[in-house]
Amino acid sequence: MAGSIDFEWRRVPFEDGDTVASAVHRTGVRTWNRSLKYHRRRGLYCLTGDCSNCLVNVDGEPGRRACVTEAIEGARVRRETGSPGPEWDVLAITDRMHWLMPVGFYYKAFIRPRWAWEFAERMIRRATGVGRLPTDGRFEPKRARTTHCDVLVVGGGVAGLAAAIAAAQVGERTLLADEGALGWSLSAPALQARIEELSAEARAQPNVEILQGHSCIGLYEGPSAALVGPHGLVEVEAGRVIVATGAVEAHGVFPGNDLPGVWLGRGAARMAVRHGVAPGNRAVIVGEGPEVQDHADALRDAGAEVSLVAGRVVSANGRRRVTGVTVETADGRRSFACDALVLALGHSPRDALLRMASGLPVGGAGDVVLPGCTPEEAEASGRRAGAGEPDAPSYPVSWPAMEPDGYVCICEDVGVHELEVSWDEGWTSSEILKRYTTATMGPCQGALCGRHLAFFAESKGAPPAATGLTTARPPVRAPKLEDLVGGVHEVIHKRTALHERHVSAGARMDRSGAWQRPGTYGDRREGYLAVRERVSLMDVSTLAKFLVAGRDAAALIDRVFPTRVRDLAPGRARYLLALDEAGYVMDDGLLSALPDGRYYLTSTSGGADRMEAWLRNWSDRLDLSVHVVNQTAQLGAINVAGPHARDLLVSLSGDDLSREAIGHPGHADVTVAGVACRAIAVGFVGETSFELHHPRSRSVELWDALLEAGHAWDIRPHGLDALDLLRLEKGHIYLAQDTMPDDHPGKLGLSWAVEASKPWFVGKASLERMAALPLQRRLLGLEFDRAPQRGAPLSVDGRIVGRVTSCGTSEVLGRHIGLGWVRCVDGVFPETLNAGALTARVAPTPFYDPEGVRLRA
Amino acid sequence: MPEIRSAPLAVICAQAAPGALDRLIAPGYDAVVCRTAPDEILVFCPPEVAEDVLREVTNRLPALDEHGLVLDLTDGWHAWTLVGPDAREGFSAVSALALPGGDGFTQGHVAQVSAKILTAADDVTIIVPAYWSQHLRERLVADAAGAGS
Repeated sequence: MAGSIDFEWRRVPFEDGDTVASAVHRTGVRTWNRSLKYHRRRGLYCLTGDCSNCLVNVDGEPGRRACVTEAIEGARVRRETGSPGPEWDVLAITDRMHWLMPVGFYYKAFIRPRWAWEFAERMIRRATGVGRLPTDGRFEPKRARTTHCDVLVVGGGVAGLAAAIAAAQVGERTLLADEGALGWSLSAPALQARIEELSAEARAQPNVEILQGHSCIGLYEGPSAALVGPHGLVEVEAGRVIVATGAVEAHGVFPGNDLPGVWLGRGAARMAVRHGVAPGNRAVIVGEGPEVQDHADALRDAGAEVSLVAGRVVSANGRRRVTGVTVETADGRRSFACDALVLALGHSPRDALLRMASGLPVGGAGDVVLPGCTPEEAEASGRRAGAGEPDAPSYPVSWPAMEPDGYVCICEDVGVHELEVSWDEGWTSSEILKRYTTATMGPCQGALCGRHLAFFAESKGAPPAATGLTTARPPVRAPKLEDLVGGVHEVIHKRTALHERHVSAGARMDRSGAWQRPGTYGDRREGYLAVRERVSLMDVSTLAKFLVAGRDAAALIDRVFPTRVRDLAPGRARYLLALDEAGYVMDDGLLSALPDGRYYLTSTSGGADRMEAWLRNWSDRLDLSVHVVNQTAQLGAINVAGPHARDLLVSLSGDDLSREAIGHPGHADVTVAGVACRAIAVGFVGETSFELHHPRSRSVELWDALLEAGHAWDIRPHGLDALDLLRLEKGHIYLAQDTMPDDHPGKLGLSWAVEASKPWFVGKASLERMAALPLQRRLLGLEFDRAPQRGAPLSVDGRIVGRVTSCGTSEVLGRHIGLGWVRCVDGVFPETLNAGALTARVAPTPFYDPEGVRLRA
Repeated sequence: MPEIRSAPLAVICAQAAPGALDRLIAPGYDAVVCRTAPDEILVFCPPEVAEDVLREVTNRLPALDEHGLVLDLTDGWHAWTLVGPDAREGFSAVSALALPGGDGFTQGHVAQVSAKILTAADDVTIIVPAYWSQHLRERLVADAAGAGS
């Protein structure tokens, strides 16, 4: 005895090399599970990790296949299904109530009354399932890594090893991955010896790496492969892939085919040879072919009485387990008493990886392309594949016919009868049968039943397009969720240099596109009033910032944007719209003219990458010599806004910051608190404002200096919450929030930003065509009698004609204001609308300081 | 287990006609010149020689392309270096990029963000836009630091 495991509070000894399945089977346990739907007994079947019959909970982890789980000292093993357990299950009554749960019953039952489904679903979920996820919060984060090779070989049998050796011999970096130890699934001693020879030869190659215990769960473009190993996910970027995953023995479909005691041949032989345990005392092996005699010898060596029978299994008999089998032989129908029925009915290629890799440099070797081939043929196939000449896949030469009854899909309890009923209901292709019956959708993912489903459709005379194997998709082996999330951190935040300052000031950090930005520093009103009455700061480093330079910089700006550029002198700035070819607004910003024909362009925070690509693309298309430098990361920006903004800057700068030196909109290079800045006079919040663009490394220093000097004016920073109201009072739009993808400037009231007299700019032709059409929808300023809600529908006489896109209550105006889409009604835009119970009146914008006196102060 | 270090690095950008950049002579000062696009090179160098490198490139480029542009973009980038024999394994935990052997340069996605990568025998330096710096550090600590353990 090598040790013992705790099997349901019972000490079960195990030997070296035992799996959980072999150790427990040795103690006489034959029922491992109850089936998903009808709670039928399920016993060990394939022993290759394909079927779902032996799923158990090991040390609290559900869904482990006992047949491929190594027995480890002290492991706690529990069967997971059955009420109260698999040996005696009160829900086995469902096996006598098939009429209550016909195929597709969940599409038909509990539909009315609707509230019933909530309870029914809960009941169904409790009655089915294959284990419970732990709820104690245990989670072991797994790593992910990427590796590169010329050739990836999936499968470490004779074909895989031969392929790896052949590839390595021609100098290719080769990675071989197998889901277990090399040769783990083989039983024949001669084959094991050959595996050892080949693995020694492979290991002797300097350019071969072998990963044992790594399951390939999917192949993707590249080709790249996802391997799940003991330490996490390995992504393999390979030049080509050789799939050598072998074959699973054909699953026979006949009455009683799911009884405990029915085994697939290789599994039974493996149990006997590797673990020294016979699957039963009296075994009947049904099948033909060279492997059958090997299986018989193996079982006899393990102490079983074996009968070899050639013929077609008519039924397996027994109630709790197999007690006999009826076989249609050449001599007629005969019955045999047995406690183990071993099936050797042919081979089904384990080819899901191969099938999902169509069009990629992925080939197969061995059983997966030559099902049922001899070891010698498999090795030769592997060498050909390794040398770059893989065999074309061939179909199984023989396939067991389905009897009129029996389970096709043992994972999902789908029998021949269910397929027949589904077909009669009109689900007449293998793909649709799959979806309706859920056959092939269980843990084996069709490894056992996929071909039966295809042959069933074929036998019904379906056209070729309706009879194929169902589409193979990852994962082909069940990974754990912790494997799948290994290395994936989907939430990525951009942070400005002032991030820590905001956090330490108590800011609520909001996600704004990819950026983290302060929403409020505790009291939105404080920030808002600071802007309107005193002075305030806002971190606007998130703005997209570009230097556009080079011989044709002016030409690029002129032709890409509808803005008038020719009269934009250095030191001046201008609002700018970016239109796409359809004339729709895709971004907006501010264009500042610099000396030497350069331009400094700022645009919305979320659009930096798109704007950069847009500029580069048009530079190439127009064959212009332009340099576009994205300075978003390089430069920080702080907006100083409020009636005392200029006073604050003057207190920290020796430069001329007068209205004459920096017009509105305009800019100048100045030094503030010792930091070189480009000060841009802007007007987004409607007060005197200067954006100080500066080297990112100086942001903290500048921010601190401004706050300190601002004490004299009771300075407060403001965040996005305050900004939302400040800009709304000025009637400024938020792109995306206030706009729709098909908005041209006219709909937004921004036609003034388009220089229509320019001979050409991106979107001009579209704008001209649209100009001839009457406006059907416009973004309009609105006033409400009470505080509205954003998104509220706007209606006229009960007919919805728009919605509120922005709204708020302006303290300085004492009004409820907003922006909203309004559709034309009978040729005119309504002046009065309803927003639910509220009344909305169209109002001119800007709501605040319409003459712009304050921002030019 | 690779060590993660913040790597002080200056970044000088030169944009010019591809032919001009082909002929641009490297500035020396232990600077590494990397071609990041047909019309762009980035020069990575120790911060203490950044001014010298900037001056040299600025002086040389106009003779090759009068419209060429040279900028110090140091503030826009941040570099983290994985140091130690497991550095490359650590890198493979955060990127699918194939690294050049020995001293080399490549660019692509690291920890889901765009990056420039400098390699040496026992270290891998990952240079990302400054706003990704914290993100990259967190990913390196979470995923790469355990490599080889």
